Amino acid sequence: MRLVETGNHVAAWGVRLARVEVVSAYPITPQTQVIEEISRFIDEGEMQCEYIPVESEHSAMAALIASAAMGVRSFSATSAHGLAYMHELLHWAAGIRLPMVMVNVNRALGPGWNIWCDHQDTLAARDTGWIQIHCASHQEILDTVIQAYRISEDPKVNLPVMVCYDAIFLSHNYMQVEIPSQEDVDRFLPPFRSLWRLDLHHPLTHGSVIYPDDYEEVRYSMFRGMENAREVVKAAAREYRETVGGYHGELVDAYGIEDAEHALVAMGSMASEARVAVEALREAGHRFGLVRVRSYRPFPVEECRRLLAGLQKVLVLDRSISFGMEGPLYSEVKASLYGHGDAVIYDLVTGLGGRDVTYEFIAENAVAALEGRLDAGSVWPSVRLNRHHLVSKSGVERLGSKGGAR
Amino acid sequence: MVEVRFHSLGGQGAVTLVNMLARAGDLVGKYVQAFPFFGAERRGAPVKCFLRMDEKPIYLRSQIYRPDFLVVMSPAVLEAALEEGTKEGTVLLVNAKEEEEAAKKLAGLPFPVFAVDGTSIAIDLGMEVEGMPVTNIAFLGAVSYVTELVPLEAVTEVIRESVPPGRVEASMEAARRGFTSVVEIKGADVPGRKAARGAVR
Repeated sequence: MRLVETGNHVAAWGVRLARVEVVSAYPITPQTQVIEEISRFIDEGEMQCEYIPVESEHSAMAALIASAAMGVRSFSATSAHGLAYMHELLHWAAGIRLPMVMVNVNRALGPGWNIWCDHQDTLAARDTGWIQIHCASHQEILDTVIQAYRISEDPKVNLPVMVCYDAIFLSHNYMQVEIPSQEDVDRFLPPFRSLWRLDLHHPLTHGSVIYPDDYEEVRYSMFRGMENAREVVKAAAREYRETVGGYHGELVDAYGIEDAEHALVAMGSMASEARVAVEALREAGHRFGLVRVRSYRPFPVEECRRLLAGLQKVLVLDRSISFGMEGPLYSEVKASLYGHGDAVIYDLVTGLGGRDVTYEFIAENAVAALEGRLDAGSVWPSVRLNRHHLVSKSGVERLGSKGGAR
Repeated sequence: MVEVRFHSLGGQGAVTLVNMLARAGDLVGKYVQAFPFFGAERRGAPVKCFLRMDEKPIYLRSQIYRPDFLVVMSPAVLEAALEEGTKEGTVLLVNAKEEEEAAKKLAGLPFPVFAVDGTSIAIDLGMEVEGMPVTNIAFLGAVSYVTELVPLEAVTEVIRESVPPGRVEASMEAARRGFTSVVEIKGADVPGRKAARGAVR
């Protein structure tokens, strides 16, 4: 069945086909459509699922930890401040090794209240122990939500998975998607069999005090689970292709890289736009390729080495910023390539808070890098001062000249 | 690829319009993309929407700054619509009465311009919400006529699928009237909408 739907409704379809049994979430723009559509599915009897309404994202994740600990397939969805609010619980879910899937619709963090696209929210949750997969199309959202349960529930992994996609550019965009049959998805995704569960007849304690003698081992086991996920992500996608059809399984999605001299590296919708930039650059005689990072955790270290190490120039696009350092994706790409090849690596910090990034803009900056007109390190080429900013600035200066606020 | 940008006022139903056009495009085998600039969702506030159709998968995710067609659902947002970006040969479709002063002004623009009186069609068929004429269905027909991206049959099929049963009849009529009542305010060098389109592509 083919639908023309928003990315959010497509995500809800993935949850429905995965036969999720418990959903707990708190509405937040631009994610709300996901849980609205799930609520409709439940109301109309299309999903046998308990929806737990909560008063906050902190509680949503607490409810999900409880349901997953009962061995029940669980889902939540959030964005930006919602993800920030549940941050402590993200550590809990990963720390006690609970399989679950959550959609995060990438949105900027306030203040400067902003409901548009930005990767700061998920990248700030980088070290919680959650697997993070970033999507660039509607089909990828659907396939990834379903595959995420296989990855998360794999005994070699046992870590929660965050499926990320960009606010508005994907969440509110109507595009086509092929919805597979329930039978095919059932063959791919059997019912959840947890390694352990809370059981009155077999009581156990999980996630309590751990002394220094044992804590490192717990963290090391999480580290191993995340390393194992590299292969599990790919294997799940290969099997998905065989039983359901479609494939989104590499940790990166490369385009035009085979004969490339230079490359763009990006995530999410901006990476899709960058694919068009690659075409434009090639038409102009510049042999660029694209490496779209799908899996931000685990990070595709080997893939970056294999695809980028022999190139001349690499331009990373960052849709967030690590204050006091540089674009986070830039740091990761450089770290991966350390000691491998001698590509000069550039970074554009751009598209923050939903600022539109066009393929022409990407191509112009790529050419600037080729011609030596782009500084190394993180640059902010789309920042400009306009009269609105100057009005604010002069207002503050006037206040300052009178001795400031008291 | 054909790119269309829509400017309207909140309440005119532009977001639904681009969604329905995308579904009509899907019916005739095109790759489609339709999205709003997600801003203040208030009745009467300016709204921007984008529509892309292609024979190949669409990888662009950015907004449209050089549209093949610019659809202006209220004369109040005409100036803003033009400021947002055009290219040589952009074809305009504006909600205006042919005999009005506004339509005469349109003839002075350096673009091929078509007009449709979507507001009168909506009022005539009782398509008003809280006093605001909902012009999107009339525009569904008019956009089909001017852009030739989707035939009227595909548009009516989408109406049949998505409009509540009690309103299908009026909606069909609105789309038909929108399709048949488009007038050319200013042609390309040679007359006719096909020629105007030819000038674009």
